[in-house]
Amino acid sequence: MLPFRKPLRAWWLRRLPKESVCRLGQRRIYLLPTRFGLLLLLVAAAVWVGALNYAVSLAYVLAFWLLGLLLVAVLMAYRQLSGLQLQVQESEGAFVGQFADCRLRLLNTTAITRQLLLQSEHGGECVPCTLAAMAEQSVTVVQLLKRRGRHAYPAIQLWSTAPFGLIRAFSWWRPDASLLAYPLPLPDREHQDCHHENGRGRNRGDDEEDFSHLGEYRQGDTPRQIAWSVLARRDVLASKRFASQPRGQALHQLAWQDYPATLDVESRLSRLCWRVLQCEKAGQHYRLHLPGCMVEPWPGQREQALAALAEFRLPV
Amino acid sequence: MRLAQFRQGEMAVLLALALVMLPLLLHLPSWLPMLVLTMLLVRGFLLQRQNQLPSLWLLLPLLGLSVFGLWLNLNTLIGREGGAALLVLLLGFKSFESRQQRDWQVLLALGFFLAAIPLLFDQSPPSALWLIVSLLALTWAMLRLAGGAVQGAAGMAAQALLLSLPLMLVLFVVMPRLPGPLWSMPHEQHVASTGLSDSMEPGSISQLVQQQEPAFSVVFDGQPPAHEQLYWRIMIFDDFDGRRWQSVHGQTREQIQLAGGEKVRYRLTGKPSRSRLPLLDYPLAAPAEGRLEPGGLFKLASDQDDVLRISGESLVGSHYLSELSRSDQDFYRHLPPGNPASRQLAMQWRSQSSDSAGFVREALLHLRLGGFAYTLRPPLLEGDNSIDAFMFSTRQGFCEHYASAFAFMARAAGIPARVVTGYQGGQFNSLGRFWQVRSSDAHAWVEVWLAESREWLRVDPTAAVAPERVSQDLGQSIPAMQAQLPVFGSRMPAWMVRVQQGWQAAGFAWQQWVVGYDASRQLSLYRWLGLGEIVDSASVVRALLCGVVLAGLPLLWWWRRSTESVPLQEGRSRLERALQQQGIILLPSDGPLDMLNKARGLPAPAYRELKQLCKDYAAMRYQNPALSQQQARLWLRRVKIFSTDLARGKLRQGG
Repeated sequence: MLPFRKPLRAWWLRRLPKESVCRLGQRRIYLLPTRFGLLLLLVAAAVWVGALNYAVSLAYVLAFWLLGLLLVAVLMAYRQLSGLQLQVQESEGAFVGQFADCRLRLLNTTAITRQLLLQSEHGGECVPCTLAAMAEQSVTVVQLLKRRGRHAYPAIQLWSTAPFGLIRAFSWWRPDASLLAYPLPLPDREHQDCHHENGRGRNRGDDEEDFSHLGEYRQGDTPRQIAWSVLARRDVLASKRFASQPRGQALHQLAWQDYPATLDVESRLSRLCWRVLQCEKAGQHYRLHLPGCMVEPWPGQREQALAALAEFRLPV
Repeated sequence: MRLAQFRQGEMAVLLALALVMLPLLLHLPSWLPMLVLTMLLVRGFLLQRQNQLPSLWLLLPLLGLSVFGLWLNLNTLIGREGGAALLVLLLGFKSFESRQQRDWQVLLALGFFLAAIPLLFDQSPPSALWLIVSLLALTWAMLRLAGGAVQGAAGMAAQALLLSLPLMLVLFVVMPRLPGPLWSMPHEQHVASTGLSDSMEPGSISQLVQQQEPAFSVVFDGQPPAHEQLYWRIMIFDDFDGRRWQSVHGQTREQIQLAGGEKVRYRLTGKPSRSRLPLLDYPLAAPAEGRLEPGGLFKLASDQDDVLRISGESLVGSHYLSELSRSDQDFYRHLPPGNPASRQLAMQWRSQSSDSAGFVREALLHLRLGGFAYTLRPPLLEGDNSIDAFMFSTRQGFCEHYASAFAFMARAAGIPARVVTGYQGGQFNSLGRFWQVRSSDAHAWVEVWLAESREWLRVDPTAAVAPERVSQDLGQSIPAMQAQLPVFGSRMPAWMVRVQQGWQAAGFAWQQWVVGYDASRQLSLYRWLGLGEIVDSASVVRALLCGVVLAGLPLLWWWRRSTESVPLQEGRSRLERALQQQGIILLPSDGPLDMLNKARGLPAPAYRELKQLCKDYAAMRYQNPALSQQQARLWLRRVKIFSTDLARGKLRQGG
């Protein structure tokens, strides 16, 4: 392996344009023989030398046919990627230290089946993907989020050694999208806003006696709350409301100032984050106060609150 | 990759290897391919049962043992046979050591090498056919091992091989050939060779004659000589020990002169036997590949036994004038004691005639009228006086009997004589326009030295007994040969002759253009195509460029067909991308109406155009699914124009 391989690759990846949609063409598909391909080339060369020495015409045929096969394998491997369309899909964020899903959409507009493998620039697991003719598919590449804040999607390497495993066709794509890393929630026993006896058990959810009524679906309702049977029967999206669910009760105030001035930023954010999640779990209304920013209880509050926490006081 | 799929790939590799190995049963000591086939079978069984592989401590001694056995059997581990055997053996053991995919890939690559090995022994069309079968099997196994296309893998392998066929042909024709080998190989003595043997003993040629194998083929420039003049000389036997004629190379040098006759040029293709190839009586000069030995025999410069093409020049019907010194004459008159009756008869003829030519006439007359018969199955001649037994009791024999007896009688009469062996005649193939000489045309005749004219005279005593033997094809002249075609009686039907000739012609073409395609043939092809006067790097590059263009055409056709996208899909995704650049995000679920709704913000001309496009799209997609491809392509072209115009900002208001 080259000693400068890593910095070289990083430099090269930085130069790639960021695209939310891209179509793989000849300018960005690279082809290299695999180890097996090289081995077969060696075999072809050995057969050729033998043919030369023993003047065996049919051995020439074999050697040259192998060579031809390798060349055709180049075209076939190229065809696996050529014309493939890639798109970014909306992705949810994740907490610091967790893996976030980078969701991508692959689109095949030709009548060939494509056998692909995807990997993020940081390594990790290869994601195999078999894309049928004229089909599209969503693929998820995971990325570990180490810091709080907004992270660009990692560059994605797509490759294929199909159909023979002789040639590896690969391409890089830098999706124009980002992921949010929320602060890691830290339990904060002093400020238990929710009416939990012990902070857990309550939200096990849809216990029979807790169920109160069915309400209209509101954005932000968890999938757990959705009345799937109703959806199936009447095609109406409805959410279950629980008896303990406080409605019209006082707003919980989750504030930056709740903590002593000695506490550092990250710890505060982590605690606030935990409280936000607790309130969300219990379905309680809350208002998040951050210096220069306030998140009111309106639809989609969870995402906004988490985003505000994630991006708080980060250099742009 | 799914594990089950991978396992099938391994099975495919084992299967392909076994298939590739089959022809080696013919060429190697058969216990070896059998052993390796068994090993592959056992490996497959272990694979199926997912059992543990045997440990290295078991395998290594076994490997040593079988290599030792191989060495005992062949006495060598290198060269063509030894190397092949060793490779096959190692392959078998490697299969027991293959665990990861990489091991299996190595095994498969070795399999491709293995496919080349039978070709070293045999280059006939069936061998080529098997090569294709092997390649198909190996490519199929490669596809299976790569894990992908499990369905239709065989079809895909065939497709890939077909696509690479033109490239192979171009490279085969264009890539330079070497005139000689890169390194010399240990000569393999134990390979039984066909052709004429080193000595002549009653029975040695008649065995050859019963085979119908082609010996060599000839193309004449211009008019070919008459059938009875086609004497192809290969060897001279100058010593007789009472039973057997052999060559002791008594004469190291011969001053000859050819007088009269007609010059004939020809190209001969054949497999040398002991570095010898036949030349037509009498050769004028040696072909470039070797030299002429005393007696007008052609000997190759290098020790090789692959099919060779030489071009010869001969004077047909000329006189072979040679000065023989007294000692040379004595050498050609030497006889062992024995056969008193024949000696006496010879002396009698000699005394009845005035000169050597007269003796020849007397002797031939006796053979013609003395109740001699030509047969392929003569009675055995036993005892010391074999010539006497033949001349006076059995009187049935084949060319070697007549030649042997005649040369004996001539020597007994004091006339220098020697036996020449080679081939006589040949069969003209009108389809391929060449002459085919077979093993069955093997022949022996006599040369006697006439002191009066100082000339070696060719005498064919067999012709005196069976004149049709030299004037016709053997199959028609000898009853014994006709009897070998039981179904059709004595004559072959015309269609069968045609089929046979066609088959021969195909074999000839195969020999000329595939097996015998060598440096000289390549050069002539280069000249004919006008690529260059010599095969050098410039002409090879020229030829490659032309060839690759030709070979690329089918590839291009396949490429265009296989990567063609479906116009409607393609157009829709193009529109999606074009709109995205304008800041309009479409969802996969969005139909044409949603697209229009979202694109309301576009400048009016662009919106109008988009509206039309969407309308057509909806019409083609939803109203008339059986639309013509032509229409869809036209629509796609409009979409392309629209997207580029949109990107360049041409569709702005008033723009």
